[in-house]
Amino acid sequence: MKTIVNGFEYFSPKTLEEALKMLSQYDSEEKEFKVIAGGQSLNLMMKQGILMPECLVSIKGLSELDYLNYDAKEGLKIGALTTHRAIETSDEIQKNFKVLVEMEHNVSSTETRNYGTLAGNFCHGDPGGDPAPVLVALNAIIKMASVKGERTVPAEEFTLDYYETVLGHDELLTEIQIPVIPPNTGVYYTKYSQILGDFALASAAVSITLDDKKEKCTDVRIVLGSVGSTAMRAKKAEEILKGKKITDELLVQAGQAASEESDPTDSVEASEEYKRELVGVLVKRVGKEALERAKKA
Amino acid sequence: MKREYSIIGKPTGNVDGAAKTTGEAKYCFDMSLPNQLYGKHLRSPYAHARILSIDTSEAEKLQGVKAIITGKDVPGGKWGLWRRFRELCDQIALADDKVRFIGEPVACVAATTKDIAEQAIELINVEYEPLPGVFDPLEAIKDDAPLVHDDFENNINATRHIEWGNVDEGFAQADYTREDKFTCFPQAVASMEVHNSLASYDKGSKRLTVWSSTQSPYYLQLGLADALKMREGDIRVIKPHVGGGFGGKNSTMPDSTSAALLSMKTGRPVKIVFNREEEFISTEHRTGMHVALKIGLKKDGKIVARECKVITDGGAYTGLGATALYLSGIFQTFPYKIPNYRYDAFRTYTNKVWATSVRGFGATPTVYCAESQLDRAAKDLGIDPLQIRKMNVMEPGYEAPGQYKVDSCGIMPCIEKMEKRIKEKWPKVEENEGIGFSAFAYMSGGIFNWIDTPYAYSGARVQVNIDGTVDLFTQASDIGQGHNTVSVMICAEELGIGMEDIRLHPADTATTPVDLGAWGSRETLMNGNAIKMAAGQIKQKLVDLARAKLGENIAYDLVAKDKRIYLELRPERGFSYYDIVRDAIKLNDGEPLIGTGHYTPHNKGMISPAYGMGIMAIKAKVDKEIGHIEPQGVLIVHDCGQEINPLGARGQVEGSVHMGLGYCLCEDMPNDNGMLLNPSMNDYKIVRQRDMPQIELMDVPTYEAEGPFGAKEAAEATIAPTAPALANAVFAATGAEFDSNVLKPEKVLKAIRAAEAKKAQKK
Repeated sequence: MKTIVNGFEYFSPKTLEEALKMLSQYDSEEKEFKVIAGGQSLNLMMKQGILMPECLVSIKGLSELDYLNYDAKEGLKIGALTTHRAIETSDEIQKNFKVLVEMEHNVSSTETRNYGTLAGNFCHGDPGGDPAPVLVALNAIIKMASVKGERTVPAEEFTLDYYETVLGHDELLTEIQIPVIPPNTGVYYTKYSQILGDFALASAAVSITLDDKKEKCTDVRIVLGSVGSTAMRAKKAEEILKGKKITDELLVQAGQAASEESDPTDSVEASEEYKRELVGVLVKRVGKEALERAKKA
Repeated sequence: MKREYSIIGKPTGNVDGAAKTTGEAKYCFDMSLPNQLYGKHLRSPYAHARILSIDTSEAEKLQGVKAIITGKDVPGGKWGLWRRFRELCDQIALADDKVRFIGEPVACVAATTKDIAEQAIELINVEYEPLPGVFDPLEAIKDDAPLVHDDFENNINATRHIEWGNVDEGFAQADYTREDKFTCFPQAVASMEVHNSLASYDKGSKRLTVWSSTQSPYYLQLGLADALKMREGDIRVIKPHVGGGFGGKNSTMPDSTSAALLSMKTGRPVKIVFNREEEFISTEHRTGMHVALKIGLKKDGKIVARECKVITDGGAYTGLGATALYLSGIFQTFPYKIPNYRYDAFRTYTNKVWATSVRGFGATPTVYCAESQLDRAAKDLGIDPLQIRKMNVMEPGYEAPGQYKVDSCGIMPCIEKMEKRIKEKWPKVEENEGIGFSAFAYMSGGIFNWIDTPYAYSGARVQVNIDGTVDLFTQASDIGQGHNTVSVMICAEELGIGMEDIRLHPADTATTPVDLGAWGSRETLMNGNAIKMAAGQIKQKLVDLARAKLGENIAYDLVAKDKRIYLELRPERGFSYYDIVRDAIKLNDGEPLIGTGHYTPHNKGMISPAYGMGIMAIKAKVDKEIGHIEPQGVLIVHDCGQEINPLGARGQVEGSVHMGLGYCLCEDMPNDNGMLLNPSMNDYKIVRQRDMPQIELMDVPTYEAEGPFGAKEAAEATIAPTAPALANAVFAATGAEFDSNVLKPEKVLKAIRAAEAKKAQKK
C-alpha cells in the first residue's frame, strides 16, 4: 500500500551528449535509474510503488530533441521530447499524417498530452498504449543513441513484451521517423474504451495500399493494440485482404481472422471473449475507413 | 402577492469562486502548523482476522518516529451516527480484537516526515489469525456464515418495514402485475479532496482543535467526543474549504481520530492525509443491494400496489447505511401515489469497507429499479412512458399514511412541460436511438434525528456593526455545493443590503451556532430558514425604528431593500440602511445589533419538510455491435420551489447527472474476497468532461411555504433519475432490459442479444 514517492536522486543534463554519458556511467555502476521526460506513465508507477528507481535522469532540458521536421521526400521526424499535444496540433501532421492527429486526440486528457511525449509513451512498452499500433502501421523507424553510437530498428521490432523494449539501459530513444505514406494508401486507427481517452479495451490500426486502378489491395498492415503483450500484426487477417478487391464481406472475414489471432486476457472491464469480438468489429470498421481513404488518396 | 427579489433568484457567482479558481482558498489539505508531525496508518491485509499481537518496538526505534498508537491506546468507546441506538454505534478508532475489512487501520505512526511514517508502518509486526470472511449479503444471512460482529445474528445490522394501504387487496385488484429482480452495485465517492485532518492538542487547557475535510463539523465533534472520551465543548472542529464530500464525509474517520490521539500523546500537531488508494479501500461508499420489486396496475396504467424487498451489502460498520435502508423504501415511491405499499428490508454486515450516505442516498438504487420496471410495464400495457407517469403522480397535499406529506408539488406541470419540449427538441429518433424517462423527487433535509441532537437542526447568528457591515455566523457546511453563497444571498436579501456587506464566518464549532451539516440537501431550507430568522430579527428592529422616525401609522408596511428602509407604497419616504443602523446601535446602548435564528421541522411527517421533484429525459444512441451506450442529450424539468441561486443549482444538476451517468455506465467496485480490484483513478472509471452530454434544464417554479423565500431541495434529486432514464432510453432503442447498473459494453451486448432472441421467439 505504499504510494508516496520514495526518495531518489534527480539529474537533469542539458545536452544529449551529457545525458548519454550519464546513462553510460550509471549503467556501468549498476545504478537503478530511469529516464524521465513527461513522466505521465513513470510517475504513476512510482506512486504505486511498482517502480522505485534510485535516481531519475530527466531529459526535459534537452531542447535539441524537441522538434517536428517534415520533408515531402524524407517524411516526418519526431524528436524524443515532442509532446502528444504538439503532434495533435501540428498543421503539417494534420495534412500529411492525419491518423497521428486522430490517434493523439484520444490519448488520455489534454493535460496529459501537454506533458507526455510520444516517444516516452512508446518507450514505456504498455500494450495498451495508443502510439504503437499506429507507428507500426505507418512503418515507423525508431532511432536510438548511446555513447557507443546510433542505431535504428523498425517500430514493429521495438517492443518485446509487456513493458519491455529493445532499448538498452544506456540508450536513449532520440527520434521517431515516419516515412512518407505511399500513394494510393489509406491509414486509419480507432480504439474502443467506454470512457473517451481511456486505455483501450482493444484498438486497431489499418493501412491499405491499392493498385493504381484503385481496385486491388497491393499491401495491407493490420495492427492490434491492447489484446496481447505488445501491439501485434494480424497477419492472417492481412492475407485475407492482400491481392484482392476489398469488399465488406472480406473485411468481416479479416475481422474474424484478427479476432482469432488476437490474444486478449480477462480484465475487470471485459472478458477475453468480448475483447475478441471487439477486435473483429474494429478491424472491419477501421479497414473500411482505411479503404475509403486509400480510394481518395 | 408578487415576489420581487433583489438577490434571490439571480444567477450569482460563488462568493469563494475567485479564491478557489486562483488557488487562494485554503483546504485542510493545504494546511500545516509549526512543529507538525505526519501520521500514517498500518492497514489490515485481511478481510477478517483476529489480531493476536502487535509489536511496534522496531518501528519505535526508527529515528523520527514520535509516537505509535494501536487499538489499546484508544480511550473512548465506539461511536457512530446512529447515536439514538447505541448498539448501532459500532465504529472504532483502530481495530481492537479483530479486523473486519481489508484496509482497516490497526496502528498509526506519527513521525517527523511522511517518508519516515511510511517506513515505520512497515516495521510494525502484527500477528493475525485469519478468519473466514463473508462478502455477499445473501451469504451473510445464512446460519453458518461467519459473524462480522458477534452480537448481530445472521449479520443483520438493521431492518426496516414500511407499509400502508392493503397490499394483498391491491394486487388482487390489479389487471397486470410483474416482478423484477435487480442487483445494484456500489459506487465510490471519489471526492477530489481525500479525507484529511490536522489535529492540535493543548496539554495545558486540555482542549483539542481539529481542522478536517468534513461535511459536518458537529458530527465530527460528537464522534471525536465519543472516541476520545472528552466533552464536546473541549473539542473545536473547524471546516476549511472542502473539495467534495458527496455523503462520504459525514462519519468520523480515522484521519481525525488518529491525528487527535497522536497529538494528545505527543503534544504536537499531527496531520493525516489519506492517499487515493486508502480513499478507495477504507472510506465509505454507496451501498450495493439486491432488490425484488413487484408492481400491480390497472389496464389504464393506474398503479394499485407495489411491494419491495431489499437486502443491502452494508460492509463492516453502520455509518449512515441504516438511514439509506429506510430512504430506499421511501424514495422509490416518489413522486407517485401508490395506494398500497409494502417494503421489507435489511442491511447486512459483510467483510468489506462499509456503505453509507452518498449523493441521492436511498433514492439512487431503488429509483433505478422502480423506474426501469415502470417502463417495462408501460410497454406491456401499450401506454406511453410519460402518460403512465401522469396517471400516477402526486398532487399538492398528498400524504403517504404515517410517513410523509408533500406540500408544494409541481410534478404534473413538470411532465406537461417535458411533453411539449420533447416534441420540439427531439421530434424523431433514428435507428438505434431511444428516449428514456424517469421522474424523481428528493428531500430538503431529513427530519429523522438518529444523531440524537438536543440542538435545533440549524442555527445562525447575525451581527450588524456600526458601519452597516454584517458578520454572519453559522456552522452550515459548504463542501463545494455553494452553500456559502446561498447563505450570504439569503442574509443580504432579508436585510435588503448587498452581498459585499456581509462577512461569512462558517463552520467552526467554537464560534458558530450548531447546524447538522451538509447532507440530504438540507442546508438551503434548514439553514436558510435559520439565517432568514436571525436577519429578520434585526430587520424588524430597523423597520420599527424607521417607522418611528417617520411617524407613520403602524399599519403601513416598510421594506428593507436596495440598502434603504422605506414605505412600500411611497418609496421616496425612507432612510438609508446605514443611517438607520447607526441610530439603532446608539439606541442599543452602543451594542452591535445581534439576531439569532434556528430551525427544526415540525408537523411534517417522518422524512422531510419539503420535496424537490421533476422529470428527466435522456436521448441515447446504442452501438449494437460493440454494446456502447452514448448519451446524446439530457432534458430536465424540475420544481425546486423558488430557486435561490440558479447558477449554483445548474452546476449542481450537472454534477448530479455526471455522477448518475457514472453510476449507470461504468463506476464499479468489484472485489475478490473483500479485496477491491480497482482502487485507483486509473482503474476506477469515472465519466469525463468529454463524455458529458448537453444538459437542458427547465424550471417549474412553485412556492414552498416551509422554505426560505419559498425554496426547497434543488439538484441532488437529479442523480437518481439519470441511470433509469438512460437505461430506459436503451430499452426504447433496443428492447434490452437490465437487471443491474454499471452498463459496461459487454453487459449491454448480452442484453441486446437476449432481447433480440426474445423477439425472434415471439415471432
